[in-house]
Amino acid sequence: MKQQAMVKVRLDEAELQSRRAFFEIRDEDLRRLASLRAFADKYTHEVVEDLYILILGHADSAKLFVDHALVDRVKRAQREYFLGLFSGRCDFAYAEDRLRIGFAHERAGIPPKWYLGAYSRYMRSIFDRLLAELKDVNETRLAYQSAEKLVAFDMALAMDAYIAAQLQTVARHRAAIQELSTPVIRIYERVLLLPLVGTIDTQRAEQLMEAVLGKVVEEQAKVIIIDIAGVAIVDTKVAEHLLKTTEAVRLLGAQTILSGISPTIAKTVVHLGVDTSSMHTRSQLSEGLELAFDLVGREVTPSQGKRGSSGNARVGNAQR
Amino acid sequence: MTPKGSIPVLQVRSTLVVSIQVELRDTIADAFQEDVLQRIAATSAGGLVIDISGLEMVDSYVARVIANTGRMAKLMGTETVLVGMRPEVAATLVRMGFRMEGARTALNLDEGLDLVEDLLRQRRGRERRGQ
Repeated sequence: MKQQAMVKVRLDEAELQSRRAFFEIRDEDLRRLASLRAFADKYTHEVVEDLYILILGHADSAKLFVDHALVDRVKRAQREYFLGLFSGRCDFAYAEDRLRIGFAHERAGIPPKWYLGAYSRYMRSIFDRLLAELKDVNETRLAYQSAEKLVAFDMALAMDAYIAAQLQTVARHRAAIQELSTPVIRIYERVLLLPLVGTIDTQRAEQLMEAVLGKVVEEQAKVIIIDIAGVAIVDTKVAEHLLKTTEAVRLLGAQTILSGISPTIAKTVVHLGVDTSSMHTRSQLSEGLELAFDLVGREVTPSQGKRGSSGNARVGNAQR
Repeated sequence: MTPKGSIPVLQVRSTLVVSIQVELRDTIADAFQEDVLQRIAATSAGGLVIDISGLEMVDSYVARVIANTGRMAKLMGTETVLVGMRPEVAATLVRMGFRMEGARTALNLDEGLDLVEDLLRQRRGRERRGQ
């Protein structure tokens, strides 16, 4: 899990050093914060409670914290976080811990706006208490600046965690859509069906061909029916893609039947001058199915009692 | 028995079966074509089945040699069927715009042999009808 967090954000030792340099976190900052450990212990409870006055006092953010057990748990985590700022460390383990907090926020559905807003209150709260404790303005300023650097460093990690999690979700969705866009189904022994819906662009056409060819060999299919009734636009490009797929399927030793050809599609194809002589074409999927069965040596006969009804058909051995 | 790198041509009844299991470099491809045509001349085989399931990649030269071998065999009275093409190979050929015109294909060796018989039967029928 930890490892995963680091991988998702691509954080290694070199990246860590680069970030530390940019946020100007120097050893003296960490030393200064470590020297304030007593201060941290004294105020940790107060600072965290103050934060929840804001969070629970705001109607929208409070909605995320209706559960008392949850509030207790996050408060405990917040106290640990606060003490961590004064640990005098900013190493790999520290960054890992901060990243994990970022992912936890994302998972809990806390939007970045509440996260950043809460930080603003947090910093003011720390400033007031530093001033009360240290009294000296210059010392307060130095201590505050050191804390502020580290907090900015933490926020950057949390934002990266948010973004990485979102990208992962997008990638997951994209994979799902891709899979759904080429559903090659085995509908009978050695007969495949690919019902196409939507728009076919070059990228999808490529995937489509790969999916079809792979499945034909895997199933040793003799026939694949590609039904294009649901395809929004059939233009020269789409026709070409279909022709290429048909040719590739033929090279494997199988045949393609193109069904779902509406009058509009038929007109377009002829006007475009696309040569479809290498394809079996049918207007209805049902006709495509009949042809497919014929090609694998089966025939479709109407069932008895419902003669003539194409809705009830039986598949039998063709008499050859 | 066969020189190193060459492709054995087997005979199953009246059909020649060639299984290409090595990468077809240009020189081997030419030798393969010559061997096959010589065997057809020597055996008067009715059919030729070329199994290319072992080929992971096919460039345009090799594809042309294979397609042409089929056309040459046809001129010599032999029906050729190409079997076992891999999906990646088919996709590559189509993307290159290479058309294996006239090449008959089947999914596997078994069906290739069936198709050869079908083709020979059809041809006899046509010839008897005087077409």
